[in-house]
Amino acid sequence: MSLLAVRDLSKRFGGVKALAGVTFTVEPGQVLGIIGPNGAGKTTLLNCISGLTRPDAGDIRWDDRSISGMPAYRIARLGIGRTFQIVRPFPSMTVRENTAMGGLFGRPDGRLQPAAALKAADEVIDLVGLGEKRHHAVLRLTVPDRKRLEVARALAMHPRLLLLDEVMAGLNQVEVEQALTMVRRVQEGGVTIVLIEHVMSVIVGVCTHALVLNFGRTLIEGPPAEVLNDPRVIEAYLGERYARRQQPPPAPPSKGDGNAQA
Amino acid sequence: MIAREERVPRSLRRFAVPIGIALLAYVILVPLTSTDTAQQAGLPLLADKLWFRIATTVAMFVVMASAWNIIGGLTGYASFGNVAFFGLGAYTVGVLVSSRSWPFPLALILAPVTASLFALIVGIPLLRLRGHYFAVATLGIGVAVGEVVNNLAPLGASTGLFLPIVRSDLLFFYLMLGAAAVAVLSTWLILRTRFGYGLLAIRENEEAAKIIGVNTNLYKVAAFCIAAALTGLAGGIFAQWNSFINQENVFAISDNVQMILMAVVGGAGTVLGPVAGAISLELIIQTLAGGGSKAVYSQIGLGVLLAVCVIFIPRGVIDFFGGQSRLSLQYLRQTLRETSA
Repeated sequence: MSLLAVRDLSKRFGGVKALAGVTFTVEPGQVLGIIGPNGAGKTTLLNCISGLTRPDAGDIRWDDRSISGMPAYRIARLGIGRTFQIVRPFPSMTVRENTAMGGLFGRPDGRLQPAAALKAADEVIDLVGLGEKRHHAVLRLTVPDRKRLEVARALAMHPRLLLLDEVMAGLNQVEVEQALTMVRRVQEGGVTIVLIEHVMSVIVGVCTHALVLNFGRTLIEGPPAEVLNDPRVIEAYLGERYARRQQPPPAPPSKGDGNAQA
Repeated sequence: MIAREERVPRSLRRFAVPIGIALLAYVILVPLTSTDTAQQAGLPLLADKLWFRIATTVAMFVVMASAWNIIGGLTGYASFGNVAFFGLGAYTVGVLVSSRSWPFPLALILAPVTASLFALIVGIPLLRLRGHYFAVATLGIGVAVGEVVNNLAPLGASTGLFLPIVRSDLLFFYLMLGAAAVAVLSTWLILRTRFGYGLLAIRENEEAAKIIGVNTNLYKVAAFCIAAALTGLAGGIFAQWNSFINQENVFAISDNVQMILMAVVGGAGTVLGPVAGAISLELIIQTLAGGGSKAVYSQIGLGVLLAVCVIFIPRGVIDFFGGQSRLSLQYLRQTLRETSA
């Protein structure tokens, strides 16, 4: 049985079809990478799964139970944690307090009291590498650290599924490497992961599966290396002409065609 | 949480705690000098009629500012309609005591109930709005409820309601002081529970709060109802104390503005900020009220003071005097940066 099964999911914002029938499943233990050009519907998809956006049609099943349209806080308590692309910490709280909030509210295995939540926070703070900054105010953190904090808060919820929305965006090479190690450690801890990413080395580096979204539809799905080399993917990102240039040259057009317009 | 408490600096505690205790002892004990037994024993009269009027008013604003702080300061929903709860509490007592001849204590129990029921009904739709929209919508509610009451014959319409006079300065002072204690204790307790952290999370980032599992709608409505109950309680006491209520004295929007200013100037989101704000501002206002023709200039001065406070110490007086080097340009720059986001 799949951990998460998304079927024919659609969402429209006015005239824009952000999602036009997306279908995929996530199996326990997988790291699924979702890629796609800007506006392909990646964040909308995560918003639908985590309950911040109500899908227009289709179904989302968690443990074979429909969670489509359920309020976000209930989905969170089922064991689905997420991060935001643009980080959303609680600015007046320290790193430790921010992290503790996850354990205070989100645990499927019983929510913690404030003191216990703070203690539990320390473990995940170390896991994401913020150990020395646990008492820092959030506003003093750098962008990579804020992204780590975002992950720590989600992990404090003891999720079974973690949705990561571009945690590597804006990080340099070294920081991406550190983030990759973090993701691997989280996966080894038994958490299934769905991540949205533009950094291709991430997809190849940690993902067991990859899925490409384009114009709200699944373009292709499969092992990361295969997916990334598919001409359709190159086309979606870089345009038709670029994709064609990468291919063996097609048969030259007949001379008559070229002059027809002149 | 624990780290939050650490942030109250020791220097502040060392001074504030003894001063606070002394002040509390003063306001609890001084009124007793007005009793007959104390007078016969030859004690000096430290609390005259004026003292009681001012002290009771101050306590009333402590309740209102603290209650506003729960929805506005902790939850981040600036309500301009809290005065409606005050008015509803007052009219609950007014109607029950004057028209139905209920005993005052029994009527007073119902005052917070009416106010929070009303908060429940209007809160469910209104708390979906945010920021300025919420502020304007609640302002509308505040004005509307007053106007409706002003036009309902069973509620005395524009004449208002007269309650049988109870002459006991002591009773109303201690009642209001008790209500203030309940308001402050409620805030203190809320900040120590999961509920309180949920409210803070909503204030700081509502989407993030939802995503970690905070039932934001429930929490917001609950905070609104608690604020309403406390404000309604103050209104109920006021009705019997003043023995006359009408739209102007219990549905005054200026009272709503005042409670917000007190909470913000004192330190919104803290336990003692609204208390400090209510005491200092109400005392200034009361002093100015007796200032004759120069009162106009003093009012301007008050306005300037408030503007300065809001711009330069947006976290409130409590925070300003709390730290070591708060009187520095760096503090100013830091708070401006942190609060203007």
